[in-house]
Amino acid sequence: MKKTKTASSVQLKLALGLLVILNGSCTNNSDDPAAVPYGSGVLVVNSGNFTDNNGTITYLPPSGATASYDIFNQVNQRSLTGGVQGYTEADGKGLILVDNTTARQDKVEIVDANTFKSLATLKSPEIENPRSAVRVSANKVYVSCWDVSGDYSNGTFYKDPGYIAVVDLTTNTVTKKIPAVKGVETLILAGSEVFAGSTGGVTQLSVIDITTDQLKSGIEIGANPNPVAVDANGKLWVYSAGELVRVNTQNKVVENRLKIGTDKSKSPSKFRLSADKQYFYFVGSYYDANYKEFGDLYRFSVNDTSVPTTTPFIKRLFSGLDIDTKTGIIYGGVTPSYKQAGYVLRYQSSGTLIDSVKAEIAPSAFYFK
Amino acid sequence: MRFRDGVFLSLLVGSFSVANGQTSGTDQTLPTVTIRGSTPERFSAGQKTQRIDSVTLEQFRFQNLTDVLTYTTPIAFKIYGTGQLATASFRGTSSNHTAVLWNGININQPTLGQTDFSTLPVAGFDQLAVQYGSSASCVGSDAVGGSILLMSNPKWKQPGFLISAGQKVASFRNYTTQVGAKFVSPAGKNSQIAGKTFFYTTDAHNDYPYRERGNYFVEQSITKQKGFIQDLYIRNRKNQQLSVNIWLTDNDLTVTPFDTTVRERTRSQSYRFLTTYETNKLTLRLGWIRDIIDYARGNFTNPSHSETDRLISRIEREFTIPVKTGRISLRVGGEWSHYRTRVDGYGDQPIQENRADLFALARLELSRWLFSANLRQAFVTRYDPPITPSVGAEYLIIKTAQSSLTAKGSIARSYRVPTLNERYWKVLGNPDIRPENGFNLEAGIAEQWRPNERFSLSTETTVFRNRIDDWSYWNPDYGYRVENLQLVVSRGLEWNGSLNYMTPRWQSGLTLGYALNRSSQERVYNVYAQDIIGKQLVYVPKHTGRFSAYVAHGKNRLTIQNQVNSRQYITFDNIQFLRGYLLTNVLLETEVKLGPVETRIQGQINNLFDTVYLNVKRNAMPGRHFSIQLICNLNTTKQ
Repeated sequence: MKKTKTASSVQLKLALGLLVILNGSCTNNSDDPAAVPYGSGVLVVNSGNFTDNNGTITYLPPSGATASYDIFNQVNQRSLTGGVQGYTEADGKGLILVDNTTARQDKVEIVDANTFKSLATLKSPEIENPRSAVRVSANKVYVSCWDVSGDYSNGTFYKDPGYIAVVDLTTNTVTKKIPAVKGVETLILAGSEVFAGSTGGVTQLSVIDITTDQLKSGIEIGANPNPVAVDANGKLWVYSAGELVRVNTQNKVVENRLKIGTDKSKSPSKFRLSADKQYFYFVGSYYDANYKEFGDLYRFSVNDTSVPTTTPFIKRLFSGLDIDTKTGIIYGGVTPSYKQAGYVLRYQSSGTLIDSVKAEIAPSAFYFK
Repeated sequence: MRFRDGVFLSLLVGSFSVANGQTSGTDQTLPTVTIRGSTPERFSAGQKTQRIDSVTLEQFRFQNLTDVLTYTTPIAFKIYGTGQLATASFRGTSSNHTAVLWNGININQPTLGQTDFSTLPVAGFDQLAVQYGSSASCVGSDAVGGSILLMSNPKWKQPGFLISAGQKVASFRNYTTQVGAKFVSPAGKNSQIAGKTFFYTTDAHNDYPYRERGNYFVEQSITKQKGFIQDLYIRNRKNQQLSVNIWLTDNDLTVTPFDTTVRERTRSQSYRFLTTYETNKLTLRLGWIRDIIDYARGNFTNPSHSETDRLISRIEREFTIPVKTGRISLRVGGEWSHYRTRVDGYGDQPIQENRADLFALARLELSRWLFSANLRQAFVTRYDPPITPSVGAEYLIIKTAQSSLTAKGSIARSYRVPTLNERYWKVLGNPDIRPENGFNLEAGIAEQWRPNERFSLSTETTVFRNRIDDWSYWNPDYGYRVENLQLVVSRGLEWNGSLNYMTPRWQSGLTLGYALNRSSQERVYNVYAQDIIGKQLVYVPKHTGRFSAYVAHGKNRLTIQNQVNSRQYITFDNIQFLRGYLLTNVLLETEVKLGPVETRIQGQINNLFDTVYLNVKRNAMPGRHFSIQLICNLNTTKQ
C-alpha cells in the first residue's frame, strides 16, 4: 500500500476500500492544518541508489517531531521511480527532478508545495537528465538538462548541446528549450541573469538573460565551472578545478581566484554559504585504498586569502550539506551505503551537534520551506 | 499416454523411485533400459526434489526457464524487465547460490557465477527437476540454496520418428518458431540409436501499445533468441552408452532500441558440448563450454567483450555391494576442468586456472531406510575451497498398497567458489576473498495416498535452516568492492500438495504450494549495520504461493496457473519495497489430427487480471497479453 501501486482487480477493490476508510478517519480527526501538511519545515532530497530508481523526499516538520518518509508516494500512491536530482519551489509549486536509469523515463514532477499532490509531470522529450532548477521570475523556472546521455567510455556521454528547459508554471508545460553547453549543470540567479555551470568539459560559465530566455556571451573561468552562491558583497562564486573564482556579476570580470586546500588528494565539493553569507562551508573528501570515502567539513570566510584544509570544522563526511538561512543550523546528510537509510545530522552554527534524524537512501540536498 | 506422463503426480516423486527406476524388459535382446538418474538426486537422501512434469513443460515450451519455475516452484526471481536479466534466489539465498546443471554439468556463467534464466528456453532440454537445499557434496560449487537440473533423455522404449514444428504468435508482435526431429531406432540385437535435432528462434518485439501502466513506465526492449540442440545416443547389448549433447544458445537483448544514443545491447552466446560414455559402473564425461557476453551502449560496433572457455572432464566409478536387506552403492569420482577467460575488466591478459574435485558418494538402501553420506574436496588455482560433507536419511514410516509416508532429514555443508569477477575484476574484485561457508539442515515428511484408481493425494512438508558465513557481496559501503562480510541465515518452510481425480473421460488436478523464506543478515560489521541486522534480504519475498488446477476431457485441457509473491524489499534496512502481487495465466489446449499430423493448439492468456507489478528497475511489467501456439507432430512412434 505504501510504496508502489500494483493491484489485481481484487486487490484494487480492497485498496480502494481501505482508502475510503482512511480518508474517513482523516476527515474525522483533523482540521485545516492537514490541508497544508508540508507547508513549512525541511525537505530532504534522497537521491536513492541509481539503478534502483528509488530516490525519495523526506519531510522534517518544523517542530522537530518525527520525519515523514517518501512523502510523494504517501500522497500520490506511486513512487517517483528515479534518482531524485533536486527540488525547488516556485509560486506555491514544487518541482522534483527525477532521473531514471532508462533514457526517456526521466521527468519533473510538479506538485502542490503545501500538500505534495501531483499537479503535472513533465516527461521526455521535454525533460531528459534534469540536473538543476531555479526560479527566475513569477511562474517561471529554468531546469538544466543534459539531454540523452551516451556512452561514457566512448567520450560521447554529454550531448552537445545540452539545454535549459523553460517551465511555465501557469500551464505546467515546457515552453522553450534554450540550447546550452554540454553537461549543463548548476543554475544560479543573480539579478536578471542566470549563471549556468557545466560538467561536460567546457571552460566558460554560461549566462542567460531571463527576460529574453537567450544565451549571452559566457565568462571564461576554467575547467567545468559551476556557480556556487552570491555572497554578502553581491559577488558570484564559481567553483572550477580546485579553485573558487569570484566573479563580478555586473561587469563579468574575474576578481579573485582562491585555491581550496593544499592537499591534492582531497577533493572539495558541496560549497554552501552561511546564513549571513560571510562564510563558506564545504566538504573535503578522499578515497582510501579500499575505495572507502572519507572526509570532513571545512569553513572559511569570503574575505580569506587562503583556505587550508588542515583543521576540519566538523569531523564528519557528508553526502549532502546545506545551511538553514533562518536559523543558521547546519544540515549534513550521511550515507552509510546506497542500500540503507541515511541520516540527517543537525549542528549549531558553532559546529555543536544538535540531533540526528533518520532519512532515506543517500540524503544529498535540503530544501528549507 | 497422458497417464504415463504422470500429469501432476510426478511432482513429488523423490529420489526413492528414481533409484528403483528399473523398468521391466519386453521382447528385446538389448538389456533393460536403466534409468540411471542423475547423481545429485540419487545421493541426496533426505532432500526434497521436485520434478516438473512433462505436461507442464509442454505448456511452457515456448517460454523461458524463468516462466516455468515461477509458476511451479517457490524460487524467487529478480527480473530486470521483459526478456532482461533474470536471476534466481533459492530458499532466500543470492543469485550466486543456485547451481544450474545441464546433463550434470554446471552451466552457470563462471564470470558471474549465475545463470540468466531469461536466456534459457524450456525447449532446450527434455526434463527438468529442482533439488532443494545445499548439495555441494554431490554437485560442487554454487549448490547452496538449491540446484536446477536440466536433462536430455531419449525415450529408448518408444522407437520411432517424430518431426515436430511449433509456432507461437503472441501479443506485442512476439513470435517463436521451433522445428525439430527426434528418433529412436528399434532395439536391434546389438545396438540402439537415438537422437534429437532441434532449432528454435524467438523474435520478441515487445511492441506495447502503452508507454506506462499505472503511472509506471514500461521499458522498451527487443529480444532475439536462437538456439540449436543436437543429441545423439548409441547403446549396445552390454548396456554401454555413448552420447553427444550439443546446445548452442544465442540471446540478443536490446533495451531502449529506438534511441541510437542510449540503446543497450547485451548479447549472450553459449556453446555447450558434452560427450558421455556410460556403463552400469562407469561414467566418463568430456565437455567444452564457451560463454560469451558482449555489451555495448549506443554504438554497437565495439562492444565490451567477455569470453570464458571451460574444458571439463569427469570420471565416476560406481560399486554396488549387496547387504542383507538391501544394497550399498558407492560412487567415487574426480573432475578436472580448465578455465580460460578473457574479460575487458580483468586486464589485457587472459586468466587461466584449473579446478579439480574429488568426491565419494555413498548410498545405503534398506527395506525402509535410505541413507546417503557424501564427501567432496574441490581444488582451485590460487584458492582453497573447504571440504564438503553431507549426510541424509529417509525412513518409510508407512507403506501400504494405497499409501506411503516418508520422513526425511539431511545435514550438508556447502561452499561457493567465488566468481571470476569477484576475484579478478581489476578495480573492485578481491583476490583474497575467502570461501563462503554454508551449513544446511532440513527435515521433511512426504505422504502419498491413493485409495482407489480415481483419486490420489500427495503432500510434502519441509523445514530448513541454511546458515551461510563469510557471505561475500559487493559492498556498497566500499564503492561496491567485494568482501566476505556477512552472515546470512535463511530459514523457512515449504509445503506443497497435489490432488488428482480421474474418471475414464475426465481428468482433473490441483497443485498447491506455499513457501516461507525468512532470510536475514546477522552480523554487525560496522556502526550502521545495526539498521540491517535481522532484516529480510533484498528481493526475497517472505511468502510465496503457487496454485494451479486443470481439467481435461479427451485431448482438451483447461489449465489455470497462479503465483502470489509477498513484497520484495529493495533496501537492506527494508524501508523500501516492491509490492507483492498475484499473477494468473489461463491455458486452453486441444488437439486435432489431420492425417498423420497431430496438431496441438494452445491458447494462452497471461496476466489475466492485468495486474500492475514492477521489476527491480521499478518499471511496470506488461499487462494482460495473449498467445496462440501450434505444435504439429508427425509421429511414427509406437505408443
